[in-house]
Amino acid sequence: MNIKKIVIFLFIIFSFFKFADVEALVTPTDDFYINDYADILSEDTEQFILEHSVSLANQTKAQIVVVTVKNLEGNSIEEYATDLFRNFGIGDAKENNGLLLLLALEERQFRVEVGYGLEGILPDGLTGRYQDEYIIPYLKNDEWDEGIKNGYSAFYKKICENYDIDAEDVVVVEDEESEMTLIDAGIIFFCIFYGGGLGNYFGNRRKRKKNKKNSTLSLLIIIISSIFNVGLLGYLFLYPVTMWNSADVFILLFIEVFAYSLCYAFTGSSGGNSYFTFYGGSSGGGFSGGSFGGFSGGGGSSGGGGSSRGF
Amino acid sequence: MKKSYIVLIVIAVVLVVVIGSLVGSYNGLVSARENVDSEYSNIDVQLKRRTDLIPNLVNTVKGYAAHEESVIEKVTTAREHLINASGASEKAEADAELTSAINALMVIVENYPDLKANTNFINLQDELAGTENRIATARRDYNNAVSTYNKKIKTIPNNIIAGIAGFEKADYFEVKESEKEVPSVDFS
Repeated sequence: MNIKKIVIFLFIIFSFFKFADVEALVTPTDDFYINDYADILSEDTEQFILEHSVSLANQTKAQIVVVTVKNLEGNSIEEYATDLFRNFGIGDAKENNGLLLLLALEERQFRVEVGYGLEGILPDGLTGRYQDEYIIPYLKNDEWDEGIKNGYSAFYKKICENYDIDAEDVVVVEDEESEMTLIDAGIIFFCIFYGGGLGNYFGNRRKRKKNKKNSTLSLLIIIISSIFNVGLLGYLFLYPVTMWNSADVFILLFIEVFAYSLCYAFTGSSGGNSYFTFYGGSSGGGFSGGSFGGFSGGGGSSGGGGSSRGF
Repeated sequence: MKKSYIVLIVIAVVLVVVIGSLVGSYNGLVSARENVDSEYSNIDVQLKRRTDLIPNLVNTVKGYAAHEESVIEKVTTAREHLINASGASEKAEADAELTSAINALMVIVENYPDLKANTNFINLQDELAGTENRIATARRDYNNAVSTYNKKIKTIPNNIIAGIAGFEKADYFEVKESEKEVPSVDFS
């Protein structure tokens, strides 16, 4: 009997020892905490999740794992999630403090599976509410990065709260179009109409009547835009923030850019464009994992707690 | 003299091996049965949790759809049946009855948008779905344990020990084929 035959023989023997009910489960990657088999997440999001899960596990042994799969191979998401949870062994073996966020791309389903040990702080109702508020609105628009990152952050914060760990660096966006958008838009407005207009006005004045025409035009723009702003701001305050959507923001930006180009065309100078740089660079410094053996599960188990949603 | 020593030693070794394997098989059976029992209590915990959630659900639904009495009544009776059921197959049956009663209730709920949007109701729905899923998981685990145990008591030499020590076959948690009722649909 040669080695090949022995290997085949052993393979056949071991194939009888398969205990999982669900076939074709995915296996953990070296990163363990992030397994993007559907290939929909950006490098930044993966890094964010890995970094936070590693630090959480180091401090508490609690493990948050994110898995995306292309499809469920005909299984229900509940069964798939429970078996995957157990195969991965998410969470500590004694405390069972694991959490799984599973996304099935083709079925368009999402499930949060909670280990026994976290059921107390993450009851099914809460996991459902978190999905409705922080995840599903994004997934509906195929905004995978935003939805997963935001949902992950919400659960991360909740678990940190339980273990008395500081999670101030993690921001959970309350609603898809949040107040942030409104404030952003307001600042942009201000910068363009006032910064740009005033800058030009005074800049031109200093040049002593040489550009009198421009100066008058700048003043005109300030006056017109003030009227414009008062109207729009009034509208903004009457218009509930929750009803904002990306189209509104786009239109506003369009108007602003238009006004800005007008300003530029008439005066030949670009006054208040500093906000571009202000808004441009705010990406945080990365964390490089380096090459090492990778992470693995602590042997935790789940009894099928959690909730599922379609999107 | 030397020969009889060897015979004695051989007999002793055989005895030790036989007794050892009998004890081992007995202990194996005990731990398999223990496993079945503990998995069974897991199902029980979840069933209890499910019956505890029903009154809350019924009250919430009543607040919005008080006149859907017959559907609500069915859920309440099914709950009573589950509470009074004993034994794996009887409980499985009562649980299936409760599931179909709740499903019927959820169909009715579709007609009440206010109820569907109620946060308390959404919360309850999630808790119920989670409990149902836990029951399904616990049932799978229990049935796996039962299958291991039942196989064990039928194989040699366990079957001899099982016969002497009175290890009986365990029931699966499932609705027996003969007792499955075909739901009657009334179009009148």
